[in-house]
Amino acid sequence: MLAYATKRLLTLIPTLLAASLLIFLFIHLIPGDPAAVLLGDTATPEEIAALTARMGLDQPIWKQYGLWLGNVLQGDLGTSLFFREPVLSVIAEGAETSILLASMTMLWIVLIGIPVGVLSASFHGSWIDSLSSGLSMFAASVPTFWLGLYFILVFAVGLGWLPSSGFPSIFDEGGLANLRYLLLPSLTLAAPNAALIIRLVRAAMLDVQREDHVRTARAKGLSPARVVWKHVFRNALIAVVAAFGFTFAALVSEAVVTETVFSLPGVGRLVVQSILRRDYPVIQGVILVIVLLYLIINLLVDLAYAWLDPRISLA
Amino acid sequence: MSAATLGSRMGGQLVAPFRLFRGRPVALAGFLWLLFVAALAVLGAVITPFDPLEIDPVNRLLEPASPHWFGTDHFGRDTLSRVVVGARMALIIGLGTVVVALTLGTLIGVLSAWFTSLGHVLMRIVDVLMAFPALLLALVLMTLLERSVLNTIIVIGIVYTTTTARILYGMSLKLKNEVFVDAAICSGASTASLLFRHVLPNLASPLLVQASFIFAFAQLQAAALDFLGLGLPPEIPSWGNMLAESRTYITRASWLLLFPGAAIILTVFSMNLVGDALRDRIDPRFRDDIAGV
Repeated sequence: MLAYATKRLLTLIPTLLAASLLIFLFIHLIPGDPAAVLLGDTATPEEIAALTARMGLDQPIWKQYGLWLGNVLQGDLGTSLFFREPVLSVIAEGAETSILLASMTMLWIVLIGIPVGVLSASFHGSWIDSLSSGLSMFAASVPTFWLGLYFILVFAVGLGWLPSSGFPSIFDEGGLANLRYLLLPSLTLAAPNAALIIRLVRAAMLDVQREDHVRTARAKGLSPARVVWKHVFRNALIAVVAAFGFTFAALVSEAVVTETVFSLPGVGRLVVQSILRRDYPVIQGVILVIVLLYLIINLLVDLAYAWLDPRISLA
Repeated sequence: MSAATLGSRMGGQLVAPFRLFRGRPVALAGFLWLLFVAALAVLGAVITPFDPLEIDPVNRLLEPASPHWFGTDHFGRDTLSRVVVGARMALIIGLGTVVVALTLGTLIGVLSAWFTSLGHVLMRIVDVLMAFPALLLALVLMTLLERSVLNTIIVIGIVYTTTTARILYGMSLKLKNEVFVDAAICSGASTASLLFRHVLPNLASPLLVQASFIFAFAQLQAAALDFLGLGLPPEIPSWGNMLAESRTYITRASWLLLFPGAAIILTVFSMNLVGDALRDRIDPRFRDDIAGV
């Protein structure tokens, strides 16, 4: 297992390096002198000259990449043009919102997706199955921002039950009660992803049900509930774990939209605003952090998968 | 492209579209809706009751009633007319993305499977691009480009090229081990004729299924880009742009949210239903390769 983990970790490094190279080149693909691009319109010639020297822009491109990578490894992602602050601390400011939003969303996905998927598979072919399959496909067909706007219209403006935008920190006044600001956004974000998990759980359960060990369990007279719980569901869960990497990517994409709809001070909205503000150092930094996180999550998912399913060859 | 004509050749046998949807009334309804959207896209401004671009400040934010059946927006433009002409943009974006993603994806996937060392390089590049979540990749690419129809198609097309390439790679590897491929090689077929006469025809039906899902996803991605202000130029009446513009007025004029949104949802849902129906018809070897929704 340890050997497998090391091997997977080592295969991660080339992918990460290649991704970082793409993100590094991003600044160079924008028309204009990279130092001028990074410093914005208000930069003086002296500032441009200083940054040119610091980034080694007069050096060959591979040396510039080395320099940039060295800075990144030391946690220096540059300075935001808009905030005049280090990119890393700008990202850190959005982290609380995004992490809490993602956690709440994951909670909904698990609470809705897994039971409905199990129910759907247990009543395979019945109206319950058709209804949940139909509804989950429908949920996956709704634009996230549209659902979010409708939630605001109904639950915030119409009924007045929940706030429509913003998120004060849980460490400020209000404490954990501030989480109510994330209720509508997390439900919005959960809808298409829960739909995905419903379909996955259902398909995985149906697959496992056809296997020999399940037939044996039934043949030896175990109750149907026990067969479903101990022999089908547990094995089906492995496939669901494998899908979590994919879910994370979908979550990131949709969080960008959801945080914008609900004006949440998270990393997702930071991406959009930085793009609209042409704040290139922040764009570069956020993308780098997200890609790193995504690769790490995929690695963890692979390891969990191998650990849960002894049939996976670790070679 | 009509899914019917291509769909009729699924699995090498003639299957009429109505037979394809036998026992699936909802999927048939979806197929009919798509035909309706295609008709709207072709006819466009010819059949709209009002000029979709005409500004009429006196009649701004009118509730749905005669003669504005879907109400009017903040410029007094007729929502029904705008939803109708929006169908054309939806079709252009959907088909454009399918063409870009399938052409590049098939090329990369099939060649990578056939030429192992080339495959090593190309599939690693695909892996790296797949480390970027879909919308994020589209957003980054859009920052480098101007807002335009072509650029939106290219950007979303590139995003789905990666998934298509990986799926096609897997399927081509399966075909590579088939006896009929060995037979063709033994009978002296050149690589080009092998790929065009034996491999690609076998991939046609899974490609059609993949195309239907890409079309559906492209609608959602394009709408999200429009909403974030990074998609089509704002003056183009696409469903996404209509929703983006209506955002500030939804509390006063919820119909501005309802009608373009319903158009997107019905189109995406229909395409997913049709894709699902097509998938059940394809070669069982490939069925698990295509994820869909």
